[in-house]
Amino acid sequence: MPAASIGWLVLAGVAAPAALFGLLGGASVLNRPLPERWTSRLTAVAMLTACSALGAAFVVSGATLTAPQLLTYGAWSEPGEGGVAIQFLVDGRSLAFGALSAAIAGVVGAFSNRYLHRESGYNRYFVLLAMFVTGMLFVALAGNVEVLFIGWEFIGLSSALLVAFFHERPAPVSNALRVFSVYRISDAAMLSAAVLLHHAAGSDSLALLTGARTSAAGLTQTSATVIALLLIVAVAGKSALLPFSGWLPRAMEGPTPSSAVYYGALSIHAGCFLLLRAAPLFEHALAARILVGALGAATAIFAAIATRVQSDVKSSLAYAALTQVGLIVVEIAIGWYTIAFVHLAGHACFRLLQFLSAPNVLHDLHGMENDRPLPSRGVRPGGSPGVVRQRLYLFALERGFLDPLLDRGIVEAFANVARRLTRFDAWLCGVLMPAPARAGVDRAEVRDD
Amino acid sequence: MTDARLWLAGIAALPCVVIVASYFRVDVERLRRAAVVSAAGTLLLTIVVGASPGLRAFSVHTTALGWTPGGEALVRVNALSAALLPFAAALWLLTVAVTPRAMLARDGLRRTALATLVTLASFLTESAVVLLLLSAASVWIFVAALGDPAHRRQRRVVALYLGGSTLVFAAGVALLVSPGVTGTWAEAAAMWLIVISVMVRKGIVPCHAWLPEAFDRGRLGPAILFSAPQIGAYITVVLIVPRASPDLLRTIAVLALGTAVYGAALALVQTSARRACGYLFISQSALVMAGLDCTSVSALTGALVVWLSAGLAFAGLARCVLVLEARRGRLDLSTYHGGYDRMPVLAISFLLMGLACTGFPGTIGFVGQELLVDGAVDAFPVLGFAIVAASALTGLAVLRMYFSLFCGRPEPAAHFGLRLGLTRREAWTFVALVIALVGLGIAPGPLVHSRFAASREILQVRGATVTVKPAPSAGQAVRRMDPSPRLRRAPLPARSATVLSRRSPPRRSVAGGRQGRAARA
Repeated sequence: MPAASIGWLVLAGVAAPAALFGLLGGASVLNRPLPERWTSRLTAVAMLTACSALGAAFVVSGATLTAPQLLTYGAWSEPGEGGVAIQFLVDGRSLAFGALSAAIAGVVGAFSNRYLHRESGYNRYFVLLAMFVTGMLFVALAGNVEVLFIGWEFIGLSSALLVAFFHERPAPVSNALRVFSVYRISDAAMLSAAVLLHHAAGSDSLALLTGARTSAAGLTQTSATVIALLLIVAVAGKSALLPFSGWLPRAMEGPTPSSAVYYGALSIHAGCFLLLRAAPLFEHALAARILVGALGAATAIFAAIATRVQSDVKSSLAYAALTQVGLIVVEIAIGWYTIAFVHLAGHACFRLLQFLSAPNVLHDLHGMENDRPLPSRGVRPGGSPGVVRQRLYLFALERGFLDPLLDRGIVEAFANVARRLTRFDAWLCGVLMPAPARAGVDRAEVRDD
Repeated sequence: MTDARLWLAGIAALPCVVIVASYFRVDVERLRRAAVVSAAGTLLLTIVVGASPGLRAFSVHTTALGWTPGGEALVRVNALSAALLPFAAALWLLTVAVTPRAMLARDGLRRTALATLVTLASFLTESAVVLLLLSAASVWIFVAALGDPAHRRQRRVVALYLGGSTLVFAAGVALLVSPGVTGTWAEAAAMWLIVISVMVRKGIVPCHAWLPEAFDRGRLGPAILFSAPQIGAYITVVLIVPRASPDLLRTIAVLALGTAVYGAALALVQTSARRACGYLFISQSALVMAGLDCTSVSALTGALVVWLSAGLAFAGLARCVLVLEARRGRLDLSTYHGGYDRMPVLAISFLLMGLACTGFPGTIGFVGQELLVDGAVDAFPVLGFAIVAASALTGLAVLRMYFSLFCGRPEPAAHFGLRLGLTRREAWTFVALVIALVGLGIAPGPLVHSRFAASREILQVRGATVTVKPAPSAGQAVRRMDPSPRLRRAPLPARSATVLSRRSPPRRSVAGGRQGRAARA
């Protein structure tokens, strides 16, 4: 009986934001957006429902369940044979994170209602917020890798579209593309891990990762390590760990409430939560565990340095959040899972408050931006040598030179090869056929049917 | 109304009405209305035919066009064509409903109806000779659409590639229908010739160069209508998959997987929206081809679903580009065009159709790509991940196009004051397409189930065909045609068995395939 009630509560918790997403999204597709008043009320009701239902499920499961329980709600497509089954894996941690996500989204929704009042993209914002919460709950409660992947994709796309929220300016749009490109790397790694898990273990259930079934399910040391490495790439992309940290300040182009909920509170922690879920897998892959610990430590140090020189408050807060994310990852690598989870939840709430109050602080202090002078050369009494400080300052100011590194190492190399291949294709047609009799005639011609 | 012949006659008659009407002096806008009504009627009829089990078992066999034992199905409706017929009709409806007024022409509407008729006929036959004739007809229609002097160069390129492909196809069919060809080198040669022809038609690397050129500098409308139905994929299913050796199928699949990544990567760096569409199509088309040649139920089902989802989504995406071009001229992706606030429906439709192309969750493409990845990794443990890479790159390319075409500028000053919004007909067509793509993504069960049935039929035919071959050693022959372990586990649905046993001669029956498996066991 308690299991059945938990099943219904979880279903209600996930269905509420999903229904909100469907409703607001459907209205947008039909170009009939709901009035602001209705949108805000529906958002509040959906988030309240999700938070209450998942909170109640958390209480019931804490009182009755002794082990994680897999809830199955049928199959999305064909059962078996590669079909997508709708499964949620519930335990105290997943339900708590789900309830926390819904609560934070509810707070942000209430804040955004006033913050974005009469903004032209008001409805678009709430559609994407509902999509994000649905994705977060899928990630928090996922019982198999397909459900996890769906949530992962929802978070990624909504994040990129919210970075480009002020779409009439080119900078947010180009930054959104940048953010999305890192997310696609993360998505590809996640999907690859899912497929490998399916083929190595014969099942894509996340119970393989979260319980003692890891070794029993046929995962060898090698396959566990490869899957863990792919998960690390997925987590690094989503949580802005090194070397993918460059997208984080770019993502601050979106409206402040979205920055708060994504890069202060929830999205940036989604990777940490995935690591927590997959912790038993990492226990079977020592190399991957060491790597993830090192990545977390390096990210924490880098972000702690970078946050000190940021000239705008949102970037500064984002790097401060990244410092804590790095520490949480280190805690997970060490094996302090409970501490890591408490750290994660506390940090999400604290950083959310900081982000949401940032506009007010800016308004009160007026001249807060660009207030950091370049350090002078020479040795300060009791400080580091001037050259070291100068270099560290430059390193922090340039955000670790990560963007040029990725640009030159990957983006430009890829673009150059692709452009050469394009030219080759065009040349192939040019060789076969002579140039047109009238130059430029086909370029101007657009007649079509 | 249980006679399939009547329904098929109705399906064929509606495009014919438009073709005939186009020869009269009817106002072009009225002719378009007639075409929209005919296309909607055709869509309705094809859905009824596809959804009725009684009508789906229809076939007409002949021995006049080849030496295959028992003859070939000149006309037949089965699980495969049950979804392909509405697909072709939907493409026609999309084309005639959203063609901008300035680009509307009587000969264009006639050509569109004719192309649809050819596509519908192609999806209704499994005769190699008939497929050759219809393939030649579709190429002729496409080349004829490039008849004006402005497209002379593209016409030559297309004629060279597709004309050559048709000739190669003809040589392959000639070998295939020769007497006593089964199990000889001639059959292998025929297979290779048909494969080359299909690769050219579908733009598989290295036979792809014509496709971006045709999309970019040719006429986009005819290019969409020629490419999106993917008759090459149908030829693969009907002629290649049942007969080709596993080595040949693996070769095609590997080339197709490489092409999927190649097309997606090149789509990402294009500066022309049309050319980006061309490369996107190459990538999607290659994904379908890869799945068809993996010969596992999962991959084949995924390919059949992606065939429909990517075909519709891609056609919608390219049509959005055309609609935008009608308002802005050529679209350069190296800059931002803005305009989201003026055309939110078009922008949202473009994004959702693009996401359906990439297999985003919540669209029908997601289910197809999940199945495809699963099956492809089964067949190619390393290369199968090319699908993941292609999907990631395609998603990025689509979002880049979306941002460039609809964001980044407040309002283009050059067009200020012009009415840029969609007409009601255009808006409803795009919205209906989006609803179909998302609706099937949220409730994919019936479609996926029917594609599973179709893929099992295809693989059963493949197993049965090969077990009757006079191979040097019986054991070898059976081993060559080993279906995937998933197929062995999957029970044959009763309906599929009925269809097969009714339309197939005894030596190509299901029993043949089962005997083969029993022998192997």
